[in-house]
Amino acid sequence: MSANSTLEYAFAPSAVAGTEAALLPAPSRVAEALSDLMAGFTRAWMWSALAYQDIKLRYRGSLLGPFWITLTNLVLLVAMGEIYAVLFKVETSTYIPFLMTGLLVWQFLSTVVNESCSTFTAAQDVIQQVPLPFSIQAYRTVYRNLIVLAHNAVIIPFGLILFRVPVNWHVLEIFPALLVLCVNGLWISLLLGTISTRFRDVPPIVANAVQVVFFVTPIFWPIEAVGDWKPLLMLSPVFAAIDVVRAPLLGQAISLHSWLILLVCTAVGAAFGLGFFVRFRERIAYWI
Amino acid sequence: MPSLHLRHVCVEFPIYQGSSRSLKKILISGTTKGNLARDAFDRVNVRALSDVCFDVENGERFGIIGPNGAGKTTLLKVLAGIYKPTQGRVSISGRAMALINASVGLNPDATGRENIILRGMYMDIHPRAMRRHIDAVAEFTELDSYLDMPVRTYSSGMMVRLAFAISTCIRPEILVLDEWLAAGDAQFLAKAQKRMEEFVSGSSIVVLASHSLDLVRQWCRRAIYLRQGVVQAIGPVEDVIARYEAAPL
Repeated sequence: MSANSTLEYAFAPSAVAGTEAALLPAPSRVAEALSDLMAGFTRAWMWSALAYQDIKLRYRGSLLGPFWITLTNLVLLVAMGEIYAVLFKVETSTYIPFLMTGLLVWQFLSTVVNESCSTFTAAQDVIQQVPLPFSIQAYRTVYRNLIVLAHNAVIIPFGLILFRVPVNWHVLEIFPALLVLCVNGLWISLLLGTISTRFRDVPPIVANAVQVVFFVTPIFWPIEAVGDWKPLLMLSPVFAAIDVVRAPLLGQAISLHSWLILLVCTAVGAAFGLGFFVRFRERIAYWI
Repeated sequence: MPSLHLRHVCVEFPIYQGSSRSLKKILISGTTKGNLARDAFDRVNVRALSDVCFDVENGERFGIIGPNGAGKTTLLKVLAGIYKPTQGRVSISGRAMALINASVGLNPDATGRENIILRGMYMDIHPRAMRRHIDAVAEFTELDSYLDMPVRTYSSGMMVRLAFAISTCIRPEILVLDEWLAAGDAQFLAKAQKRMEEFVSGSSIVVLASHSLDLVRQWCRRAIYLRQGVVQAIGPVEDVIARYEAAPL
């Protein structure tokens, strides 16, 4: 053991202990999480490019690309539109635009929720190799679904013209509405994304829940159809989320009621999602 | 000035297996009393690093040696800012670039050239800025026409060349390298070493983990010897290697 003399320490780490002054002050968890969210947001070029890449990879080799879903929707609309219009005893010309716009929003919401579970697990390799802001993955999830939404929305103008739905200035209200939906998508991605890295059975649980919500929310059936239950269903934030986009597309103003419920839900959810992210952000790299 | 400071760093991994990965089982076990609750938490903590303290200053080439499972890669991930220590403090000043896995961020179906841009994104470099470096990267890799082929056709040595060239095309302040580098051939290693030396002379830190003692001896001045997450020695590279070789297996 002749080398001992030149070694800084052999077994006891006390040699460099007590020199903590050399270290920078540690930022708090809240500060770190907020700077993560900011640093992620300012890298819009990165998450938008990653989102486009996701879509490209998903539809590689298919002729129509993401428009396949648009085509599938068209078939679904015609089939459901004819049958359910009879079931609910409404005119096809009012039912199909209602169904078309409702499904458009629902597909956005439900895929954001389902895919938010894989926000971090899908980026596993990168998270374990490169120190990037975690929030980038959440922005990527939401943005990817916005791109899909844009593809699905292509049929909307045709439908509205075909069924002579009065289009007016209210249609511009979809932009603030979509912005609020994206904020919701963001906190849901951070929350479910983090939980799913720790508990691997969360994605199927979420998928089941989403399916149930589809049937109990007035998406493919008019809210009037439930009669006395209507006031209760009006309290559903999912209904509010659908309504704020569907109403302006059908030429109506967004009701104050829907705005109020959606904004309260956004505030509560964002606070909870952010709190959760602050608490568990550092653990994501360990859990994944 | 880039520098690394570690004080009493511990990293503990929770190993989740079986039912501790399941939210359902944990919720159910929370409502039932007794042994069942304990059984549902198959939690084992593995201490990958314990009480690690050291400093690496500007312009240093620092080696990490140790047998398999010593915690070398875990330590690299701490230095790169990927793992936040469960105890202790780390302060990293400077932009750290980690090359822990050669294939990260590389899309096997895209060509070498496309991957330069892709990988650059994960390095926080805008595609527009990265495009200016393509020629320099291509030159360093000496892959020539292979750069227009999909990366899945590459040998592991070629992959290493490409990944190394991309990661070092912009001088990182702190470069963290894992042992996969050794997959390159002697000619590439010589070239890579030259590039490292350029970096270090221009104020950068290089940290290399490897169990190839020759590589560490050639590249590093100081080294740390880890064994089961515990520091055995820190000091001049020859002395630390001597200690490592003297250790019973």
